[in-house]
Formats: sequence, structure tokens, C-alpha cells
Amino acid sequence: MRRSQTLTLLVLAGLLFALAACAQIKALPNLPASHPEELATGPVVCSECHEDQQKGTMKAFAAFNHSRAFVANHRFYAASDDILCVTCHKVSFCADCHTNQTEIKPSIKNGNRPDRAMPHRGDYLTLHKIEGKLDPASCYRCHGRANNERCVACHR
Amino acid sequence: MKYAVRLLFPALCLAAFPACVLADASVDSTTLLRIYQDNRSGSPSQTFAPVTQFLGVDVDKLGDGNLSAHLLGWGRLDLADQSFNDDHAAGSLSYGYLQYRFGAANAQARAGRFFIHEGIVNEQLDGVSARTDLPYGFGVSAFGGATVHTAHIPGENSDGKGDGIFGGRANYRYGGLLELGLSGVYETKAPALADTSFAGRFGDHRLVGVDIFLSPFRMLQLSGHTSFNTASQGVAEDCYLLQLKPVEKLTLSADFNEYHDRDIFYSSALFATLLNGNNLNAQSRTFGASASYNLNDQVDISLDTKHYTRDIGKADRFGADLRYTLPDARLRAGLSYHYLLTSPEFAIIPSSSASGSFYEMRGYAMRDTKNYFASLDIIDYIFKKDVEGRGYALEATGSLGYHLTPSLALSGDLSYGSNPQYANELKGLFRLSYAMKIAGKGDSK
Repeated sequence: MRRSQTLTLLVLAGLLFALAACAQIKALPNLPASHPEELATGPVVCSECHEDQQKGTMKAFAAFNHSRAFVANHRFYAASDDILCVTCHKVSFCADCHTNQTEIKPSIKNGNRPDRAMPHRGDYLTLHKIEGKLDPASCYRCHGRANNERCVACHR
Repeated sequence: MKYAVRLLFPALCLAAFPACVLADASVDSTTLLRIYQDNRSGSPSQTFAPVTQFLGVDVDKLGDGNLSAHLLGWGRLDLADQSFNDDHAAGSLSYGYLQYRFGAANAQARAGRFFIHEGIVNEQLDGVSARTDLPYGFGVSAFGGATVHTAHIPGENSDGKGDGIFGGRANYRYGGLLELGLSGVYETKAPALADTSFAGRFGDHRLVGVDIFLSPFRMLQLSGHTSFNTASQGVAEDCYLLQLKPVEKLTLSADFNEYHDRDIFYSSALFATLLNGNNLNAQSRTFGASASYNLNDQVDISLDTKHYTRDIGKADRFGADLRYTLPDARLRAGLSYHYLLTSPEFAIIPSSSASGSFYEMRGYAMRDTKNYFASLDIIDYIFKKDVEGRGYALEATGSLGYHLTPSLALSGDLSYGSNPQYANELKGLFRLSYAMKIAGKGDSK
């Protein structure tokens, strides 16, 4: 009897908490759907204009400055803040490299943009025989369960 | 589901075009014509001329202003010999979905084909997803639907994926100091594979994991995640990055990655076969460090190193990058040098006298003006020991283009290479790019 009363109280408390939370959701801020101002060409430094911390992600804008280190490690940011990425980048910007089925090596498709960081530049057909042994997990991230129709031509 | 999506989203996009006039919209189209010839001795001469069309459409502010439609896909037609597989034509829908943004809490819902990047989860599915921030720093997201199947593994009748996939992430944020996330993905039972050598190394795709962002001071930042494979009952990977910004223009970083081969490759029918012999407990580790410094607004320089440890051997990579950009980005250039030093086991054909070591050197420059754009990119790999009788792999690509209108550009690339595959490799490409945008304010790249 006492157990069922405790459970009932817990459920009621949980419901009250959920109701209170729902009432507060409308007061939580939204990130803009797109960047409100025209952006400069090339890598951006968010903290040049934004000094404060963001309302939506509650992280400092400076953490998202597009330094060389940021570009090299962007997977850590995309995993928790992709909603911030899409305020400035179309999803197709990511899909230039990260996709399910790639028709053309990204560096060939974007051969007129050597400034963009693109995987597998040059004769990677030879290089992959070394790099693949060295760090196969780095291959797996893109080619493990998708985007591997060209891999299976030889690797079976 | 897959069939429905194939029908639904082209129809949606066609229906969305008239709405482009009223809504914010953008269309990105790139048409590529590649021309190349394979003239290796011992093989019949082949000429390839595939035309590939990439199309991206984004239509915002539909309906009540919070609905948007997004699509990206490509199609290829071979004008000469078959360039790949058995068909002269191929295509793929990368994504095509409707998205509704609610008025608060970064809440949004998606339906269609899309990618999910949440914590340890990186998937593509045909289905639905929703996310929202919650009071007191909490947040939650969830997704579910059908997996997007890919190429069949030769000798099997599937790609090794289950048919349904579900998952999500819950997170807690405390100011700008801390974020903790708990995420997971559950895929329905993986198909049985005919090849019995998969036993013990291949199974269902089921992962849970935690991720962290910690920045107790503005100059210090720790990010990373650990994932656990519930199907193989082992830790799949640990990936952590520590960044230090002692002064505004200097970023120091150190990263640690550890992978347990069986557990990370467990749900990949391709990679499960690549496990080293029967050593299913093999693991790999990398330690990396880098320093990047902005000398001024035009020049930045970075140094990096990485140490690799695998059950078969060890390797080290060192290098440096230098980048130059004019303030208006009309001129961009870069130089890089890297050296990979490996133990003989990483050679393409391992032996006590073999080597997998090589130097990598790259230089590029590009110029973009109102009327024309041009670039030159040269990359050379110099092998410490010859690979198939050749000591290097060189590729030089030149590109020249003209802005026909602010939205329409025509360009051509010509590349020459010499490498262990081809003594002489000459390739040409024509590119017609169209980027149309109808929007009141704002920008996106």
C-alpha cells in the first residue's frame, strides 16, 4: 500500500515537473534560421562580431571561430551543435564530403576550390593502401556502413 | 518506405518550385562533364565521358513561415564507355526532407530522408526526427525510420544493415562551461550473411555513448565521446580533444583516439572482413598535437604531429601548413609539408626491407575576381621505397572559369598526374555552376 502511494506521488510529481517544464519551453530562445547579416567570404571568426555567449547553445561564440584547429576537429562541434552550423551552412555544404553515395571524389567535384579542406587529394588510390592500415577507423567513419560501393569492388 | 520517399520527394520539390517565388529559396546546380581515357597496356582502350548533374534545392518560409523543404541529389549519364558498374546511368538522393521549426527552444521536426549527427550517432535514414531544448539546461532529440541501404556486399544479398533504425540523445548544459550528452542508436536485426567467416565479428548495429564539452575557462576546452557497442559488449571508441588558447591568435590542441577493432567494425559487413586475421581484440591508438597561429589577418601557420600505435606496428606523422588569404579573399594560397614515418608492416607489401613512409608536399593558389576565377593545385607524394617501380605520385590541377552572370559560371579543369597506377594520367573536366538565391536577408554558405 505504502509502495503504491509512493509511486503515485512520484508520478504526480513527475507530471507536475513536466507541466512546469512545458510551460517554460515557450520562453526558451531560438537560434535564427539563418545568419541575419551577409557573411564574408572564407573562414569566419565569430568572435569578431559576437562577444557574448549564445542563447541557444550556451557556449561562447569564440569556441566556434573557424580556425585551422576548428576545421580539423569540426566533428566534435557538429555532434552537439549542428543546429548552430545550419544557421550559416546549408546542409549541402556538409554533404560535399559526408554523404551516403559519392559519385565523384569531393576534391575533383570542387577542383576549382583548392582552399577547401577536402579528403583524398592526389593519388589516394595508392595512398589508401598505407593509410588504411595505419588508421582504419578514420576510413570507417565515412565508408564503414555507407559510401562504400567503390570499396567493395576490391575488398571482398 | 524507400519507394515512397523516392516518389514523394521529387513530387514535393516540383510542387515547391512555384512556392520559390513567394518563399526564400535557393537552387544550386552543378553540371560536370569529365573526359578521360584508360590506355593501359594489356587492357582494351576505353574512353569515358560521364555527365553528372548535382542539384540542391532549399525552400524556406513555406506555409506559416516555419516550414522548409530541402533536397540534394545527383544523377549520372555515360556518353561513352561505362564509367562505373553495369549501368550507363546512376543516381542518388542524398537527402530530401521537410522541416518545421517551432517558435521557441530550438524545437524542430523533420520528415523524409536526412542525416542525423547527435553525439555518437551518425546515420542516414528515411523517417522522422524531432528535437527541443528543455528548461534548466536539458535537451532531447529522437529519430526513427528505415535505414538507407547501400551497395550489396559481393557474394551476399544485402549490405549488412537491418531495416529499421531508432535512437536519440539527451543532454544537459550548464552555462558555457559544461555539456554532457547521452546518445544511442538501435538498428533492427542485421541480416544473416552467407559467409561463415563473419561469425563472431559481425552483428547488429547497436551503440550507446556519452559525450562531453567542458570549458571551465575561456582558454581551455575539452570535447570528446566514448561509445559502447551493446551487441558485441565492448567499448568501440574513445575520442577526446583538448584545446588551449593561451592568446587569441594561438590554438594548441592535443587529441587522443582509441578504437577496439571488433567493436567499432562490428556492424560493417565490409570492415568486419578486414579485421586482422583472427585477432578480434586488436586495438588502435593515436595521439596527436597541433599548434596553429595567426601571424596577421592574411597569414596563418600550423604545425602538427600524430603518433599511431596498432597491433601490427607504429608510425609518426609530422608536418606544417602555411596559408595566405587577402582580406577580400580574392587571392588564397597555401603550402604544406608532411612526413609519415612508418614501421615496415605498414608498407603496401610488408617485408623487412619494405617501407610505408612517404613525404607529402602541396602548394596551391587561387584567384577569384568579379569576372573570372583561376586556380593551380600541385600535390606530390614521394615514397621512401618505390611503389610498383615508381618513387612518387604527382598530380597537378589547373582550373579556369568565367562568371557568365553573377549566378552562372563556366569553368574547366585540366589535371596531369604520374603515379604507380599510371605513368601519365591526363584528365579534363567542364563545370557549369548555377547558384540562384531568392532571400530577403541573411546568408548561408
